[in-house]
Amino acid sequence: MLNTERMPVTGKRVQLMATCLCDAFYDEMAAATVQVLEYLGCTVDFPEGQTCCGQPAFNGGDWPASRRVVRHTVGTFAGSDPVVVPSGSCAAMLFHGAVLEFEKESDLPAVEALGRRAWELGDFIVNGLGVKTWPGRYEAAVALHRSCHTRGTASGPAVSALLASIPGLRLAEFGEGEQCCGFGGTFAVSFPNISSAMGDLKLEHIRAARPDVLVSGDMSCLMHLGGLAAKEGQPIKIVHFAQVLRDALKNGGLI
Amino acid sequence: MADDREAILSRVRAALTPLPERAAMPDYDTEIAVMRKLLANRDLVSVFAERIKLVNGEALTDPAELARRFRAAGWLHGYCDPALWPRLQPHFGGDFQVETSFDRTRIDDYAFGITRAAGAVAETGTIVLKDASTSSRLGALAPWAHVAVLHRAEIVGDLPHAIDLFGDDRNIVWCTGPSKTADIEGILIEGVHGPGVQFALVLD
Amino acid sequence: MRFQQIDQFASHLKADTRASVYQSTKMTHEKRTKMLFDQFADPNRLRTIAGEIKQHAIENLDTYLPAVEAKLKANGAQVHWAADAEAACQKVLELMRARGATRMVKAKSMVSEEIELAEFLGRHGIEAVETDLGEFIIQIDHDHPSHIVRPIIHKNRREVAVSFEKNGLGAYDDAPEVITRRARQFLRHKYLQADVGLTGANFVSAESGRIVLVTNEGNSRFCLAANKVHIALIGIEKIVPRDRDLALLLNLLARSGTAQQLTVYTEFISGPKSPAQPDGPEEMHVIFLDNGRTEVLATECRDILRCIRCGACLNVCPVYRQASGHAYRSVYPGPVGAVLSPLLMGDRFAEKADLPKASSLCGACQEVCPVNIPIPDMLLRLRDKAKREHVSSPGTPPMGAWSLLASQPTAWRAALIGGRLINHIPTKMLPVPALRAWEQKRTLPEWRGGEFRKWLAQRRKGKSP
Repeated sequence: MLNTERMPVTGKRVQLMATCLCDAFYDEMAAATVQVLEYLGCTVDFPEGQTCCGQPAFNGGDWPASRRVVRHTVGTFAGSDPVVVPSGSCAAMLFHGAVLEFEKESDLPAVEALGRRAWELGDFIVNGLGVKTWPGRYEAAVALHRSCHTRGTASGPAVSALLASIPGLRLAEFGEGEQCCGFGGTFAVSFPNISSAMGDLKLEHIRAARPDVLVSGDMSCLMHLGGLAAKEGQPIKIVHFAQVLRDALKNGGLI
Repeated sequence: MADDREAILSRVRAALTPLPERAAMPDYDTEIAVMRKLLANRDLVSVFAERIKLVNGEALTDPAELARRFRAAGWLHGYCDPALWPRLQPHFGGDFQVETSFDRTRIDDYAFGITRAAGAVAETGTIVLKDASTSSRLGALAPWAHVAVLHRAEIVGDLPHAIDLFGDDRNIVWCTGPSKTADIEGILIEGVHGPGVQFALVLD
Repeated sequence: MRFQQIDQFASHLKADTRASVYQSTKMTHEKRTKMLFDQFADPNRLRTIAGEIKQHAIENLDTYLPAVEAKLKANGAQVHWAADAEAACQKVLELMRARGATRMVKAKSMVSEEIELAEFLGRHGIEAVETDLGEFIIQIDHDHPSHIVRPIIHKNRREVAVSFEKNGLGAYDDAPEVITRRARQFLRHKYLQADVGLTGANFVSAESGRIVLVTNEGNSRFCLAANKVHIALIGIEKIVPRDRDLALLLNLLARSGTAQQLTVYTEFISGPKSPAQPDGPEEMHVIFLDNGRTEVLATECRDILRCIRCGACLNVCPVYRQASGHAYRSVYPGPVGAVLSPLLMGDRFAEKADLPKASSLCGACQEVCPVNIPIPDMLLRLRDKAKREHVSSPGTPPMGAWSLLASQPTAWRAALIGGRLINHIPTKMLPVPALRAWEQKRTLPEWRGGEFRKWLAQRRKGKSP
């Protein structure tokens, strides 16, 4: 199963991996992540040379191409500080996918070392820093979609508990929460009919819960679900939980 | 034509030899697969009776009650293990026609079959049949109603215990309720190829 | 861009077939989960241990197979070995001809589907009747099963009633009870007329040589009560080390596959009938089948051989639910099939290399697998294998250029800025096929490359919160 043993967090200096999706489309979410981490007293380094975790090529079956990108990432994130990433799928790529595709490579130890320092954001806040409740205010019915890459990790329960603790926030339960949204990386474009049918089914369940906003820890799922909804003329508000945490602080006058 | 034994075994060996080490057998307690809370301090006969009901079987303790059920259902012609019949006959009236030899050319004649069970498993409501004690496999299988006769002391709590009692019988069948299928639209139908009614007659 | 076969199949699937499959799989999956968590404190730990037991067995087949053979022989059974489908079919034919046998009744056996036994025997003048209700319906319909446990999950009662009428089994009546009774009557006489009963096996214990059959209908019991010869066709991976391991595996199998504590009949057979027993086979033949399993054993995907054929992965898979079993073009569909079916093809792997791609890698399959097979990792390995073997893959975006860009930070940052162009180009004209494919079903968000880095730089200079 996933290699989820993390090095213990001993200080408050972290490296941020913003993810390629945020670099290209979702600057708001990456900014919210920085604001949240700094509110918690972290010093956030952003290695400028970062690009991508290598997952698209890995999922697509081109492991040599993926390894090239992972090697670059290992070099970019040199050091021993925790690497925090606001994406369950990128984090899982670092601590599991990369380890799998490097199993016969001589630089496997360096890849494993990075994996042990890689934290999905919610897991880092709750289990790395020990922050169990969140202050401020966020008045909304929230449909929380847990991405598949967080299966078998502590991230799902961490984010759920953290959001539920925010004054004014109500988690709106919806059916078949365990089922995949249909993004799946290159799957979304190679199997477009199945991918969009899965997404439409999930949107149906979500809409039945009448949420104000759809929240997740993965922009990839939100890009897919939000994009489907918008294309069908029934847009839905999508927000990463980092933005919810940041907005709660703002609403509470804490930042 | 030549058998492929050596070809297959040598391919197996070739496939496994490169492994630096072989996966170890886990050391585990067979108790982990038992539903402990269910059995705690309870009389096995009552647990068995409760659990067999959940799978739509039924445990009876009185042969006279069995005869009443059969009469009420119009099942008057059946088969019974000749070793069991002397004890049961007094409870069945003259309206019954019970054969102690199963004639496979007339399987549709038998509405019921009564045979000896080797035991039962309480947690699952399962009847254990063994070849050595089943007077006729067809007699236990073909009629619409099957009655498995067993004694209280032959009921064990759980699957690990049932397995401990396998011995060397060639054909052990665990029967957990009447035969069924849900192949058509997931709708449960009882009585497919095997019995549609399953009784356990639990004697002292 | 050409789309994958499975995706096309899914898009053409009839709405009521999809509905049948969705409702059945969803219901079974939900009942399975509730039952496991109600009845055991830690079902995930049970799955882990069961997985370790099976992995140990697979990695020690060189010891266990000869041990099982010796035990079976000591019990009075005869043991044969078949390297492939042809050898297995020929062996069955040989056994039947040697006994002047012309009629067989078959219990459900996925291995027999794999080797297309019934069709082979039919071509050689032997009647081989399927006795499992779902398989019987498939046989009279000249169809193929679409699920490893629920063969006719894709059919509704009306379709079955039409088949029955066409095959002389009574005037149209689609009540499930009526259909079942008719099958009972028809098949009961087939059992009695048959010369040979053929079964598969879910497990074989190396300790006692017992083969284990798991059914609900009573058909396998009938196959072994009414005639004199039993042939058991068993994949070499079905070995379990000890009888007591069966307690754990059986407790997981039915709960995982059909949300039952146990199936109605669990049979433990170690040889022909006892001498005093009037009914049952006087001869028992076990045919161990390879048919590509040793090749799988030699790969990094050997864990797939742990599979105990419960079907839980099919029931939870969102792709299976949308596409249904026939989309996989294989005896084994769904998540397990996406790994096993291409591998069993041996050097014809390329013909089924698209199966491992038909997955969003959600991992739900691994979460429900009673023997904890890491299916997503294996799907990924097979994608790598397809690439290394240069299997053409319509629809998969090429990653070479992407990886160059993503390992050159200066080029990357330039592309972030340059990408803003796409905000001004109609998507249909975008030079990237993947973006065009995306946009057919979903909107693309606004390209904002470089904005985050700019924001961060300003923040560091203390310019804005």
